Amino acid sequence: MKINQQHINRWRLWVLSMAFLLLVLTPLLNFYLQFDFIQGWFQSLSIGELWFVSPLEGLERLLVSKEFYGPLLVGMLLPLLLATLCGRVFCSWICPISFLSECGEWLSKTVRRSKKMPQWLILPRYTIWLALAGELLLTMLLGAPLFVFLSPPGIVGRELMTLVFFQTLGFEIIILIAVLAVNLLVTQRLYCRYLCPLGGLLSLVGRKRRLQVVFQPDHCIQCNQCQRVCPLGLAPQQGEGQSSQCWNCGICVEKCQQQSLQFEWDKR
Amino acid sequence: MSSPSNRRTFLKIVLLSLCTFPRRVEARQRFGLTVKRNFLRPPGAVSEEFFAGKCIRCGRCVEVCPYRCVSPLGLKHGVLAGTPMIDVEQIPCYLCMKCVEICPSGALQKIAQEKTRMGLAIVDQQSCFAWQDQTLCRTCYSVCPFPDKAIRLEQFRPVIDERYCTGCGICTHACPVSRQRGGKAINIEPIYATAFSLPSDDDTVTR
Repeated sequence: MKINQQHINRWRLWVLSMAFLLLVLTPLLNFYLQFDFIQGWFQSLSIGELWFVSPLEGLERLLVSKEFYGPLLVGMLLPLLLATLCGRVFCSWICPISFLSECGEWLSKTVRRSKKMPQWLILPRYTIWLALAGELLLTMLLGAPLFVFLSPPGIVGRELMTLVFFQTLGFEIIILIAVLAVNLLVTQRLYCRYLCPLGGLLSLVGRKRRLQVVFQPDHCIQCNQCQRVCPLGLAPQQGEGQSSQCWNCGICVEKCQQQSLQFEWDKR
Repeated sequence: MSSPSNRRTFLKIVLLSLCTFPRRVEARQRFGLTVKRNFLRPPGAVSEEFFAGKCIRCGRCVEVCPYRCVSPLGLKHGVLAGTPMIDVEQIPCYLCMKCVEICPSGALQKIAQEKTRMGLAIVDQQSCFAWQDQTLCRTCYSVCPFPDKAIRLEQFRPVIDERYCTGCGICTHACPVSRQRGGKAINIEPIYATAFSLPSDDDTVTR
């Protein structure tokens, strides 16, 4: 069965918006209706008794406390499974930073009427591994889990919650603004590309993922549209859709007129 | 692939963060605990030395609390940003134990209601109306969830029994005496907050 993948990006935007809507609605429902069936945000989310724990936060907590804790490990299972099978899809399909960046990109494209996002700073691809390793090392050295209180996706959730619950915004908003500014003004998705340790961990886990953007050169006319639209600056026409960095957003799949790029499930 | 200036900026950032973060942690240790009089961790919290490492700041305890007494700390508390706190002078803990049940990281450990030790209530005999023989006030006694156990009246004066006091702060919240922050006539002192504080008679303190 062949699934039509021409609208994959539309689907992604829909999922991304729903995930953000969840972040907005959860504290509202909790606060005004005492509806606690869904709780938390992407550091730990619970839907009934189905608990999710963000893998990096869980890992840091294990490294710092050097202790196993059952519920934490169980909560990390599903996100890790998703990352092993599909790679960094959390980043492109769910993460609220992605949602806000997409909104910002759309806004800047409409305001500036230019389709190009800035690319001021291009770092080597391995920077994200350095970010992950450095962050874990720093966490262990200081004995304080850094990503758990500085994680931008977590801060979005926390800010929304404090806004609803306490009608205030914490200072964390500065980090958020900084990340979005870097993502929008310096280089498209600079933070997501090179600096996000969670993204690094998820791409490390999804190195040998099943879901991949596969390039078939038969009909390719070398228009390079795929490379131009890739938010991570990858070159799908050189097979970089199968590299560990690709986050399976499907923008290139939708863009490709020749359908040379397709999502494929590696059956092994 | 990479220009030297980029690498230099990157190294600079790493070095800068290495220089700033240890200082912040150190400062926290030097200036004492964030947990202080009437400003406590939720029930079942592990001791302060481990709390920052175990809590993953998911905020579910804040969202689940039906009394809205749990609130997250702000970024000015450094590495403790996002960890839950209860200001019992504002809203005390009613020991519903919901936060304990949902904590996914083990920062709040499963504990029985009566074995909770968020702190210990201490009566300030200088300002307590009953101890000063000003009125027959027994507010703390009447609101205590464990009356005649945690708080009993001796000659109409409140006396705390540390074998039963959970440190929930309901008495502090209800106390009519209030001069300034921490100036109630009955206050909760977080004496169990660190691993090095003395345990109570029965070993109920979460280490």
